[in-house]
Amino acid sequence: MKNDIKYKIRGNRLIKICKDTALKIRNYDVDEFEIFTASSVQNEIEIFKRNVENLSFSDSTGIGIRVFKDKSIGYAYTTVLEDSSIEDCIQKAVSNSKITEKDEYNYLPKDEEIVLKNKLIDDSLLFKESFLDYSVEDKIALSKKLEILTLNKDKKITDIENVIYNDNIYETAILNSTGFCDKYKATSCFIYVNAISKEKDDTSTGDFFGCGRTPADLDLDRIAGKAADRSVSILGGKKIKSQKATLILDPVVSTQFLGIIADGITADAVQKKKSLFEGRIGEKIFLSEINIFDDGTLPDGLSSRPFDGEGVIKGKTCVFKNGYLKTYLYNTYTARKDKTLSTGNAVRASYRSVPEVGISNFYMEPSNIDFNQLLRDMGSGFYVMDIIGLHSGVNPVSGQISVGAKGLWVENGSPEYPVKEVTIATDILSFCRSIKKIGNDLWFAPAGGYIGCPSLLIDNIMISGK
Amino acid sequence: MIEKRVVKKILNILLGNGADFSEVFVQKKAFNNLRLEDSKVENSTSGSELGCGLRVWAGESTFYAYIDSIKEDKLINAARVLSSAVNGSSKVKVLNLTETRSSYDISIKKAPSAVQPDDKIEILRLIDRESRNFSSHIVQVTSVLSDVEEEIFVANSYGFFSSEKSVRTLLGLSIVAKRGNDVGTAYKSIGRTCGYELFEKENLAELAVKTSGVAVTMLDAVDAPAGELPVVIGPAFGGVIFHEACGHGLEADAVLKGASVFKDKIGKKIASEVVTAIDDSTIEYRWGSYKFDGEGFPSCRTVLIKDGILQSYINDLKTSRKMGESQTGNGRRQSYRYIPYPRMSNTYIDRGIEEPESIIGSVNKGIYAKEFAGGQVDPVTGNFVFGISEGYLIEGGKISFPIKDATLIGNGPDILKKIEAVGNNLDFAPGFCGKNGQSVPNEVGQPTIKVSKITVGGTKK
Repeated sequence: MKNDIKYKIRGNRLIKICKDTALKIRNYDVDEFEIFTASSVQNEIEIFKRNVENLSFSDSTGIGIRVFKDKSIGYAYTTVLEDSSIEDCIQKAVSNSKITEKDEYNYLPKDEEIVLKNKLIDDSLLFKESFLDYSVEDKIALSKKLEILTLNKDKKITDIENVIYNDNIYETAILNSTGFCDKYKATSCFIYVNAISKEKDDTSTGDFFGCGRTPADLDLDRIAGKAADRSVSILGGKKIKSQKATLILDPVVSTQFLGIIADGITADAVQKKKSLFEGRIGEKIFLSEINIFDDGTLPDGLSSRPFDGEGVIKGKTCVFKNGYLKTYLYNTYTARKDKTLSTGNAVRASYRSVPEVGISNFYMEPSNIDFNQLLRDMGSGFYVMDIIGLHSGVNPVSGQISVGAKGLWVENGSPEYPVKEVTIATDILSFCRSIKKIGNDLWFAPAGGYIGCPSLLIDNIMISGK
Repeated sequence: MIEKRVVKKILNILLGNGADFSEVFVQKKAFNNLRLEDSKVENSTSGSELGCGLRVWAGESTFYAYIDSIKEDKLINAARVLSSAVNGSSKVKVLNLTETRSSYDISIKKAPSAVQPDDKIEILRLIDRESRNFSSHIVQVTSVLSDVEEEIFVANSYGFFSSEKSVRTLLGLSIVAKRGNDVGTAYKSIGRTCGYELFEKENLAELAVKTSGVAVTMLDAVDAPAGELPVVIGPAFGGVIFHEACGHGLEADAVLKGASVFKDKIGKKIASEVVTAIDDSTIEYRWGSYKFDGEGFPSCRTVLIKDGILQSYINDLKTSRKMGESQTGNGRRQSYRYIPYPRMSNTYIDRGIEEPESIIGSVNKGIYAKEFAGGQVDPVTGNFVFGISEGYLIEGGKISFPIKDATLIGNGPDILKKIEAVGNNLDFAPGFCGKNGQSVPNEVGQPTIKVSKITVGGTKK
């Protein structure tokens, strides 16, 4: 299977699209405008039983146009980059600006509102040339290797549901009428495996993944080992009695909980009365050892970027310091509402949407306590290895959390038996208060941003089972 | 949208390196989205997309590519590039293209493109007014109105082509109520595969009042119980239990991979005899209905379970060929950017005979789960969850206090056998289902049902 057309860097082409579009917009009666373009070249491989089940290629570029007129905003996008379609897109953006309401804070970022003047990270760290050396054949080979590695980790593993590899060369450019015009590019890849294991009548699944900037970053042996362990160790799991207990959340789980907190500290959620962190700046939320950052400059952070979705240079923001809530995360609009400055957290899911507020690399600083020490500190309790139902089981507004969980029951610091089909329930603020110890095993997962958290020991959590 | 001469040429290029099958999927889509929040129309976005997905099979492998264009030269180039990845030995040629017919035929009265922006805004304003007038505790009303008009053309090397124009309109409403430290939330939506004839003053006002009512009721919610209890599940969105506990496990791609608990169960009893379940993409105007599926096959009504006995899986073209079963019109895809998979359409537990009141009356101590925030399943093990967003305690056969959000957890095959009663009040609710990174519109449905025992993930022992 070939198909190795060498990728040509297209940043300058994106800038040209922006400039050509800007010339067209100047014929319209608008006060300000912004043009966002993004291109994505992706390759996805799915392996099942040593065979390439699916192989897909995509190459897509889109443009999103935001116009401001009398403090109203209009937005439109298109994937068809021909003159007539772009003209039509501009017209739609202009007519949309006549529909939305005026708001005194609706205008592009001004120079004096931008804290950082120089970029803290650039393409040299985000875009790995070596990525381009991998052929489709190479990627298929490493996907097949992960399948074999995982199968061979344990005799109880009977099947691999699938191995999925995908990668992306992302390039983006923004041009606005205040004079901002810049671009960047980034490479990323991701590999996932789901291992099915069987013993007697019980079946169990365990998945794991790895990601990086180039396939060389993927530690296949570790991914295989984790997936196998997560599958086999919970074979024969049983439902336990409903009880309050101490829990250790594996990083696979703690990152998902940290994601709930990330949603609550965006200024948009706070200002719209949809966050429990409203009015809590300066309040102690966590124990004193806890520091949480949003940092767009981490060299290995998959959500690192030189500037945000509206061209504001991105830096590092301390959100929780020694357990205290220091700041919310802002884009320019929400910052003006709170009489402060943007933290560079304007994010765009794609050219299909306007810049909203969201995290970049969002993580909790690790401690120096290793995992075994956490187990000993817990004594007896539930080591939660995976959760299910986060999207339906968390109400970010009222704060209720109730999710399905599986893992191991621990006695005297050592795992005793597997547990499944139970739930754990709490609420967001109680969860924050219940964190008693943090581990040294900081681990990141891509989920709406790039979220990092170590293992967490939390107490007094209700488990529902029998 | 595209000439048949060009399509045939592309299909042939795709077969060029010994492929067994080729397909062209063309889509043109116009999209509008309006959002009102803080009593202001704060976002109006329009989008247009046009592109083509190319699919090839060779042996056990599927090859896929798409481009954001339908220009002949670009399509030929993309087809050549994709075909170069194939190394097959088949000698098949493209058969003459004949049009596939579908009995599904609906008419659209008020296409979104013919509706003035002011009229769309008035819908959101009416919702905002009615909701805020309902109670002074309501602190946020977010309403989102979105519409899609699209044209789809599919053709494959077996010699079939189909074309369809479709419209979808959806209004979603979220309400936040606050009273001191108490917070109540609610979400409801109206969605149909039709235009703006969907909305009338009455159903808009009803949506606002009902949703606001739930948010305010939830201010008094008590802690949900923890442990195994009998649960009565309300009509319409309650159908998410079947969607998660069983529906995904019946999608034939999971069955073929040995990744479903329902493998080798056709003709066997998998549910209590009061359960009959159906997937039907032919119900007029339903959110999960269509004329053709994402592979150009006409929509179908498929009985999945009859009186507790498994009758059929949910198939697309590939799984139906591999399993030697007939296609069920469930090959669905999010857009031209995606490979189709077997997916549910409008999937529901069919009407039973019991009165909803008597079902609730039969429970001494349990839960009435009325609305849900969604769910998730691991089809391999059958373990699933779904989150209650509006629930109540049942005490002595009567509904008492509202409860805080809680997740229900169970095992599909086990829960299906524990469905003890099915009501006579079948209803449906629109939603989106995620699988393999793709989101497609579908509808869940059921009458009121009773599950004898399920673990409720509350905080109160």
